[in-house]
Amino acid sequence: MKVSAGKMLYIVAFFTIFALSVQMYANIKTNEVTVIPPTSNAVTPFPVKINPPKGLPEIPTDLKDANGNPILVSCNSCHGVRSPNPKNGSMGPLVSFHQDLDFVHGKLVCISCHNPEGSYADFRLASGESVNPKDIIKLCAQCHGPQFRDYQHGSHGGMTGYWDLRKGSRQRNHCINCHDPHKPAFPLFRPVAGPNDRFTPHQVKETHE
Amino acid sequence: MSDSQASLPIIDHPNRRRFLKTAGATLGLAAWAAAMKPLLDLTPEVNADEFLQKHYRELTPEQKSVVFKRLEEETKAEYNADVTISDPPPMENVLFGYALNLSVCIGCRKCAEACHIENNHDRASNNSYIRVFEMEMGGIDFEKGNATYDHPVPAPGKYYMPVQCQQCENAPCVTACPVEATWKEKDGIVVVDYNWCIGCRYCEAACPYHARRFNWEKPEIPAEEVNPVQSYLSNRIRPQGVMEKCTFCLHRTREGRLPACLEACPTGARVFGNLLDPDSEIRWIIENKRTFVLKEELGTRPRFYYYFDE
Amino acid sequence: MVEAQNPSRPAPQEASVALSYFGFLRRATGVATDGKWYFYVWMAVLSAIALVGVNAWAQQVRDGMIVTNMSDHVSWGLYIANFTFCVGLAAGGVMMVIPAYLYDDEEMHQVVIIGEAVAIAAILMSTLSVVVDLGRPDRFWHLIPGIGKFNWPLSMLTWDIIVLNGYLLINLHIVGYLLYMRYLGRKPNPKWYIPFVFISIFWAISIHTITAFLYCGLGGRPFWNTALLAPRFLASAFVSGPAFIILSMRVMRLLTDFHFSPKPANTLIRIIRVSMCVNLLMLFSEIFTLFYTGGSHASSAQYLFFGSHGANGLVPWMWTSMALNIVGAILFFTPAALRRENTRIVACLFCVVGIWIEKGMGLIIPGFIPSTLHEVVEYSPSLIEWKVTAGIWAFGLLVLTLILKLIASVFSYDSTREDSKQQQTVPGETKATSIPVETIS
Repeated sequence: MKVSAGKMLYIVAFFTIFALSVQMYANIKTNEVTVIPPTSNAVTPFPVKINPPKGLPEIPTDLKDANGNPILVSCNSCHGVRSPNPKNGSMGPLVSFHQDLDFVHGKLVCISCHNPEGSYADFRLASGESVNPKDIIKLCAQCHGPQFRDYQHGSHGGMTGYWDLRKGSRQRNHCINCHDPHKPAFPLFRPVAGPNDRFTPHQVKETHE
Repeated sequence: MSDSQASLPIIDHPNRRRFLKTAGATLGLAAWAAAMKPLLDLTPEVNADEFLQKHYRELTPEQKSVVFKRLEEETKAEYNADVTISDPPPMENVLFGYALNLSVCIGCRKCAEACHIENNHDRASNNSYIRVFEMEMGGIDFEKGNATYDHPVPAPGKYYMPVQCQQCENAPCVTACPVEATWKEKDGIVVVDYNWCIGCRYCEAACPYHARRFNWEKPEIPAEEVNPVQSYLSNRIRPQGVMEKCTFCLHRTREGRLPACLEACPTGARVFGNLLDPDSEIRWIIENKRTFVLKEELGTRPRFYYYFDE
Repeated sequence: MVEAQNPSRPAPQEASVALSYFGFLRRATGVATDGKWYFYVWMAVLSAIALVGVNAWAQQVRDGMIVTNMSDHVSWGLYIANFTFCVGLAAGGVMMVIPAYLYDDEEMHQVVIIGEAVAIAAILMSTLSVVVDLGRPDRFWHLIPGIGKFNWPLSMLTWDIIVLNGYLLINLHIVGYLLYMRYLGRKPNPKWYIPFVFISIFWAISIHTITAFLYCGLGGRPFWNTALLAPRFLASAFVSGPAFIILSMRVMRLLTDFHFSPKPANTLIRIIRVSMCVNLLMLFSEIFTLFYTGGSHASSAQYLFFGSHGANGLVPWMWTSMALNIVGAILFFTPAALRRENTRIVACLFCVVGIWIEKGMGLIIPGFIPSTLHEVVEYSPSLIEWKVTAGIWAFGLLVLTLILKLIASVFSYDSTREDSKQQQTVPGETKATSIPVETIS
């Protein structure tokens, strides 16, 4: 029994139409795009809290006060009576104090940031303008503009809390939570243990091209 | 019976033959029952309500609360942990997007660890939805990638690329599933109904990003480590034999909170938010950084964007 | 004298249709379970293996699929490899149907039913192979349209379920109808089976095409994502299917009373010659495209043929399969293959094994190695996987033996209702063999 050309044509046409309908249906199902208007900021958002810096360090001396607490010395105690050394950018010349301080911050010197004209209890921008310790972010931001811009847009520095500030607040790290201002390079981490795959992937050997 | 060619005398006689056949069949049935015995060990877990449970999208709110209550009781019985299972609906006018800054990620895997804890993964396999790849600088070549590194990070000449579910707009896993156990919700998250999945793993074959995980055995988590804040579609403890995947922590993000991986990231490499909000951080990233997606040529349209700072 | 007939069987003229069908089933069961001692040994061994498989599967359901060696990197393994091969076996039957019904090959008409019997057993094996691969077989009902949720037409798996079950029903109908008519001593009514035969031609091609579409539609797996996959599947199916059928025909010729001409086997061999060349050509085309272009698209093929990242578990398998296929093809081309000798048996065995390796280990597994993120995790089946697969094959061979035995009896005039009355021998017995027996009076 042979199938005639007419019947073949009919069968082919039927299948073509069927296939096209399936494709159209599949397209409709997978390419559904609903357009939703953007949100309005009518609701007052919750605050974004940045961890405040703890303030200027006070150094404990060997002496104790009447209650047995160590006597703390502030920056001014010594730096108020010494003249600043504008050239000091390393630990070498420090022979009596600050010897355990690590300082690797590009080509900066101490008084690039510490204000020699003020009380050393404040800082100064490159323009000489004085900066309150509470606003130290400005000091980092004046040079590290791109990072600061990213930080403001949530792309640098960790956060916890809410993405939707209409529902809750958010806590942000301050720059100095992660970056020690004297040695700001982010330290090496020991990574958390990796996946414990039942069958470990084979690795490329270093000499493999 | 001179023509009969029965080969052994004993089975020549039809009655004896019939007897032997019946005896053989009975023995066979008994052997069958013995062979199936391991299934009897499953009987404590067999539950008629679970067997007959309908698809999540067909349950009424009353049926859902019955199901959640049953699941909470089962979790208590099997894991000795008191949990609450919620069902947060998608938020209005929200389409989630996630971005990752490859210049800032150091490969510490704290995100993978947070995911492991938040999502009640099996402890022994250290399973996580996030797999962090150590890549060679100078390209995006996964052939040279390594997810099992164990040295201080970041290593020189390398950068780090965590990969998780991309919540694709055109997800191949959703198309592949024969029972519609996985689907894309209105806020963009691709979810799995763990009580509907039949475990055929076609979605795992279809996913181009190695994002889906299968429960090869029953997860084991000590009671004190169970995260009790659970939801039906995301981090409740999954049963054996079903698929699971990253859900952008929908039990947190649908309440407005950040996902666990983002909160754990110490460098702030992760950015999450509502793509439909023009003032969101994620929109700023997409508009101001050169973002790219993995395997763009496949047409999956992921909602997970990668970018470098410079 | 031994009572040769079923005492409760009514005379043909008096029985109603329903009772006669029931009688046919009873007769069929009796005939299919009657045989020589080696038949019983064969069936007992197969049953034992099948039960070992059932037990292994029960362990897998209880303990989870961790008892297999599959992982999130290689998430399909031996079960799906076997499934793919068995669907090919089932599709091979069409290579008998086309000559018989489209080209009016009279001798082929006699033996088409063997091809359909192989198809039934193969479809059962492939369905079982998928069921044992499910993580939650208790949720099977989720697949039933109407009661569960059936993601048709988007999911290729749903198409596969439809076409496989349909093909099984078509073949069950054709085989059952022809056997039943033969049993009644009536000529089969063409209206009741010819349309199904013609449907089965297209349907056989569709089952393997759709199985190929399962894999080649996945963009994330470039090793599978080739248009050549479906034609390759069909070409290898039209080698493995007819080869398996030739082996079945040889068994029937040696062990039963079913006589048929040597011409159908020769037709099949000529078909195998062409199909094997097409299969090898397509394989060569794939290999050239992958290796000449290079890049990460070739990494699966690189792993398969030469090993990569220090992993080379599949390399010996692949080269063995190449050797088996090529030697088998050469053997098929020798004149000796067209004679009823052992050349064709060796060639058939080589090709069946070679294609099992090529489709299973050589196609399914490398789709997962390297993974979508280019990690190389190797896979070799665990003992439980081998046991379950052996059990599935044992079950398939059990079914095939029973159906072929029934065919041999019915078409050897042993079990038809009119002839039974005159029979002296016990139904299903064959003629004299070399085993000396004592006759019992």
